[in-house]
Amino acid sequence: MSERPSAGPLTRLGEWLDERMGVSLLLALGREKKVPVHRHSVWYYLGGMTLFLFGIQVATGILLLLYYRPSAGESFESVQFIMGHVPFGWLIRSIHSWSANLLVFVLFLHMFSVFFLGAYRRPREVTWLTGMLLFFLMLAFGFSGYLLPWNTLSFFATQVGTEVAGRLPLVGSFALRLLRGGDQVTGGTLTRFYGIHVAVLPALTTLVLGLHLLLVQKHGMSVPPGVEAKHEMPFLPNFLLRDAIGWCAALGALAGLAALFPWELGVKADPFAPAPAGIRPEWYFCWMFQTLKYLPGQILGVDGELLGILGFGVGGLLWTLVPFLDRAKEPADRRRILIALGWVVVVYLTTLTLMAYVPVGR
Amino acid sequence: MPRASVLALTLLAATAVGGEPPTAKTPPPPLSTCIACHSQLDAAAAEPTKHASEDIHFQKGLSCHDCHGGNPTGDPEDVMAAHDEKKGWTGKPKRLQVPLFCAKCHADPVFMKRFNPLARVDQLSEYRTSLHGKRNAAGDARVAVCVDCHGVHGIRAVKDPRSSVHPTRVAETCGRCHNNVDLMRPYGIPSNQYAGYKSSVHARAIYDKGDLAAPTCNNCHGSHGAAPPGVQAVVQVCGSCHTREATLFREIEKKKGLNLTPCIQCMVCHDNHAVQTPTDEMIGVGPKSTCTSCHGPQDVPYKAIDEMAKAFQRLKERQTEAVDLLDRAERAGIEVSADQVALRKAQDQIVELRVLAHAFDRDRYLATAEAGLAAAEGGVAAGDKAFRELRQRRTGLAVSLVVILLVIVGLGLKIRQIERPPDPDAP
Repeated sequence: MSERPSAGPLTRLGEWLDERMGVSLLLALGREKKVPVHRHSVWYYLGGMTLFLFGIQVATGILLLLYYRPSAGESFESVQFIMGHVPFGWLIRSIHSWSANLLVFVLFLHMFSVFFLGAYRRPREVTWLTGMLLFFLMLAFGFSGYLLPWNTLSFFATQVGTEVAGRLPLVGSFALRLLRGGDQVTGGTLTRFYGIHVAVLPALTTLVLGLHLLLVQKHGMSVPPGVEAKHEMPFLPNFLLRDAIGWCAALGALAGLAALFPWELGVKADPFAPAPAGIRPEWYFCWMFQTLKYLPGQILGVDGELLGILGFGVGGLLWTLVPFLDRAKEPADRRRILIALGWVVVVYLTTLTLMAYVPVGR
Repeated sequence: MPRASVLALTLLAATAVGGEPPTAKTPPPPLSTCIACHSQLDAAAAEPTKHASEDIHFQKGLSCHDCHGGNPTGDPEDVMAAHDEKKGWTGKPKRLQVPLFCAKCHADPVFMKRFNPLARVDQLSEYRTSLHGKRNAAGDARVAVCVDCHGVHGIRAVKDPRSSVHPTRVAETCGRCHNNVDLMRPYGIPSNQYAGYKSSVHARAIYDKGDLAAPTCNNCHGSHGAAPPGVQAVVQVCGSCHTREATLFREIEKKKGLNLTPCIQCMVCHDNHAVQTPTDEMIGVGPKSTCTSCHGPQDVPYKAIDEMAKAFQRLKERQTEAVDLLDRAERAGIEVSADQVALRKAQDQIVELRVLAHAFDRDRYLATAEAGLAAAEGGVAAGDKAFRELRQRRTGLAVSLVVILLVIVGLGLKIRQIERPPDPDAP
């Protein structure tokens, strides 16, 4: 019997792990997975980019957890301490804040690219549903995390945002008290939002994200209707290397933003002070905020703001159920209508968001 | 004239006389034949009726006869009945008698209590202590009596902004006489006080900012017992508002056994009527200094004044530099809020030094300036540190971007390598 040449240390480690965890099976699955190459393939990278930015959020969030104190009396000061005294605390905090905004932006791009490319069609309906759940979870992350620095902007933005929840019919009052932990935004609200931000939402996201990734692996990448893939490229290592280029670019962008435009600390919240003029929520909620501002007080005898909120709910529901509304197997009128509506939504969201930043009086 | 017509005429007169029409707040003057009759007379006699509705006495339910006596309810055709001396009619009092005339009520605590339990009733006794009162008692009819300041008829409450003795109008009222050169000349009193006061920081506070806490003539000179504060009392008068400066000033006399009376205290540096906003140039030996108006280069305090001024200037410069540095660092994104709070100590010391100048204590002044300078130096050091941090961040960013770029290039090369078509000539 010939002797097996001695394996290097890395190989021996790989063999040890494979025997116990079946790593080679995962690698084989990765090598088997193919990604179609066509003129719309570039949009495939957005999912990975979103995942990467979420990973950044988790890593920087854990580091911030080491110093952050979730109470009205200490939260602002703890963030101030992180920014001023913790080595690279300013960097971690700024990356966490910028990455949150980039994550939501990329998430919107990913969602709309999936919509316009029809990647929600059978058999990927549940993938779309889990994706929409993740979208709402990310918005919840943004909303809950925004309060944590406990500065003037975050305090009043939370006050306005939770008041909107309070306008819901039947459950509004309950929802308001559930979110705030009382009638007003207080230290209790901060503690509650902190628990939601670092425990509840991460747990839910882990489950939903796991299912979402599993479904993406199961069904593979969708080819848009009417498009023919020229060829396929292996997911490992070709697609992943290209993904990594995007991730590096995103990392560089985050580093630049954090170093050149550090996220501001603001002024500590004073619950007894009036809301500052021109207060508005984070940019990804501005379109809702601006819509509610433009709605008249009464529409056909019904409270305008209430109708607006219900409209958002119905619109969100319809958007979530899009896979079940688009049953066309071939590109057809229904698909063309949906695409046109999709562009209307994009223009509407973009326009209303931009208008929220136009100075008052103009 | 039938009584009904008198009533109608009275009501008509009450609405027709000058001032405001009666409202819930300014009820019409009580019915009396005085107004009904006088409003029909010529200008001089009708004058009292023109302002009746705005007069505080009428508003409180008093009427002409409460001051002048007589019978307000008699036959309006019968002048003698209205002016019945048996009913207490005294007519128009002589000018010298006006203080006593008003004091009939205003010095009567029982009477005044009906209208205001807290009303003062010492106006006459105060007046008698004033120069106005003393000259009045000596028979000088040119000096001010009650009506010169408060008006005759149409006297408004003091807190009414239209009153001639409202804080916004007191200086103007006093100036009616004290600004009159011919009136003041016989008494040897200057007549530039009003002009001086109008140019002062106190007047700007009242007239431009509406700050009624700022002093006007009566705050320093008194209202009814008006007199210039005595030489000993100048610092007390100014010290009623500027308490710290006054306390420091009085301490000099105690601690150092100095008699600063000849300096007439606050007035030497700050004037009495034309008080201007003090400037930092007032301390020192420069052209705008007030110290050098008394202390020449040969005087012992001259050197101390110079040292104090230089220490103060050095502190201001360093504090300004520190503020500028920290503001720029903040705008660049460096967290410096704790340093900015610490720097406030320097600003506090600057304010303290401006007050401490009134202690004329070189050692104490320099010690305070030193403490402020330490805080300012700390601010400058914090600003320098913040900019070093900024440079480090930018250097770190440049290095990390180079590394990331290298990684991206490496990844690109790797992709090219693995996707390169196999060499057909390779064995």
